[in-house]
Amino acid sequence: MSVLQIENISKSYGKIQALHNLSFNIPEGCVFGVLGPNGSGKTTLLSIILDVLKADKGHFLWFGQPGSKDQRKKIGSLLETPNFYHYLSAVNNLTITSNISGRGSKEQILEVLQKVKLFERRNSRFSTYSLGMKQRLAIAAALLGDPGVLVLDEPTNGLDPVGIAEIRELMIELNQKGHTIIMASHLLDEVEKVCTHVAILKKGELITTGDVNDVLADEDMVEISAENMDALLAAMHSYPGEIKLQQQANRLQLLLPKGSANLEAINQFCFSKGIVLNHLLFKKKRLETKFFELTNN
Amino acid sequence: MLQIIKTEWLKIRNYPAFWWVMGITALTYPSINSILLYQYYDLVQQKSAAGQVVKALLGNPFAFPETWKTVAYFSSLFVFIPAIVIIMLITNEYTFKTNRQNIIDGWSRREFMTGKLIDVVILSAIVTLLYAVIATIIGTLNTTKAGADKWGMAYYIGLFALQTFSQLSIAFTIGLLVRKSFVALAIFAFYFLMLEPIAVNFLRIRFHTEIGRFFPLNVSHKLIPRPAFFGRIDEKAYQESLEAVKYHIGYTLILVVLTWAFCFWVNNRRDL
Repeated sequence: MSVLQIENISKSYGKIQALHNLSFNIPEGCVFGVLGPNGSGKTTLLSIILDVLKADKGHFLWFGQPGSKDQRKKIGSLLETPNFYHYLSAVNNLTITSNISGRGSKEQILEVLQKVKLFERRNSRFSTYSLGMKQRLAIAAALLGDPGVLVLDEPTNGLDPVGIAEIRELMIELNQKGHTIIMASHLLDEVEKVCTHVAILKKGELITTGDVNDVLADEDMVEISAENMDALLAAMHSYPGEIKLQQQANRLQLLLPKGSANLEAINQFCFSKGIVLNHLLFKKKRLETKFFELTNN
Repeated sequence: MLQIIKTEWLKIRNYPAFWWVMGITALTYPSINSILLYQYYDLVQQKSAAGQVVKALLGNPFAFPETWKTVAYFSSLFVFIPAIVIIMLITNEYTFKTNRQNIIDGWSRREFMTGKLIDVVILSAIVTLLYAVIATIIGTLNTTKAGADKWGMAYYIGLFALQTFSQLSIAFTIGLLVRKSFVALAIFAFYFLMLEPIAVNFLRIRFHTEIGRFFPLNVSHKLIPRPAFFGRIDEKAYQESLEAVKYHIGYTLILVVLTWAFCFWVNNRRDL
């Protein structure tokens, strides 16, 4: 079942087309990464599904129903920046979130503050928080009442490496408990570590979407090296079948059609050409590589 | 509704600027009335013939029941002070993007705007309460005549409340449209203190038209006519201003409805 169905959504700001006929589904229980370069429309898309922006065309369905305030109450969200009353404490800000959404009790407010390590500063004004602390409070607000769906726009913004790792663990833990997480991020390494599904946007258009493994694994990648790299490169030009070669510093990358990489055959081929390999590795394509390919960056 | 009131009160009661401005208002309203009261006593306590003429001319505008109108009139000239809080409360929502967070968290746009309407109602109620307390104190201290009709003109509490609510609603609308606190404050102050008074008088003197009484602030300004002693100067104009009150109640109610309908419409239409 789809938690969110996006159908033909378009949005423009004057002459700038921010989103163009965007359609895809987000399955229940996944960690769904919305990726794209700056200006690709990620935040615009999240703003539309949270009813902050109005789409020019198209519609979306949460749990099979048109978006409404009652559905938003069931969704924990962090959009773009932590938005809180600067003169209120963490507890009072979360009380407002709780009053509006109906999510969380007084006890749960303290629990989520403990979870994001803000309990000691719970009575400090929001304006006195560092960027990382503000981000933690926004995550606490999203977690309030343990919502089944989380929408997180750049959730690790402003966090230190330890904070980033903690949020990653938290997302994995929540996903294991059955929560659906929709996140937009620039940190492809982070996305790769936690996302089960992705959608890649470019200039407001959907480039690709699906299971992370399906999106990434469109070809096999093998990395090899030998004492004499020039001889290796020359030899591999005559390797039978469809193959693309990419020379790197002291490695040669072979790109072969999906499912056709045979490490034994490659090793044997090189040996038959008088070359002894000192490195032979089947590599999973990195999301970063795929992202650059798709977005031509 | 109760949940919206609770949430808005939580936002207001912890906002330091609210208490600062309320403190300034609480000092300004009694101060301005006290200054005028002392000036009045300075004049009428003179033993000279001029002093006695003034006493006969003015009566006692600070005794019951006239005090309800006198204090309302002078207090209403300082509505721009509570207007600062109203403008700050709405522009803060835009500055810190908490308006969009309220929507994301599950309020509808209508509920958000209802919350802001409640803010203006709460502030109008506080300011009216302050006015009523000051008028009661001044009236009690200055009424010497036995059997004075203490509550005879207490309906000015309602008129003051309506005027305050209407004028704070105009301030709110400017904040909603402009979204930047200092620009909105400057526009409201300029309009309240300069533009509308000049425009109204210019139209009256230059073109002999009273169209200015339908200007946004003047519509409700006419709810509270000048104190009775002005009638001694121009009796006809004073009687006309009293006569106009009942019409301006209707005009003000219409303006208030239109103002809030416009605010709800704007908030519903635009991206956050």
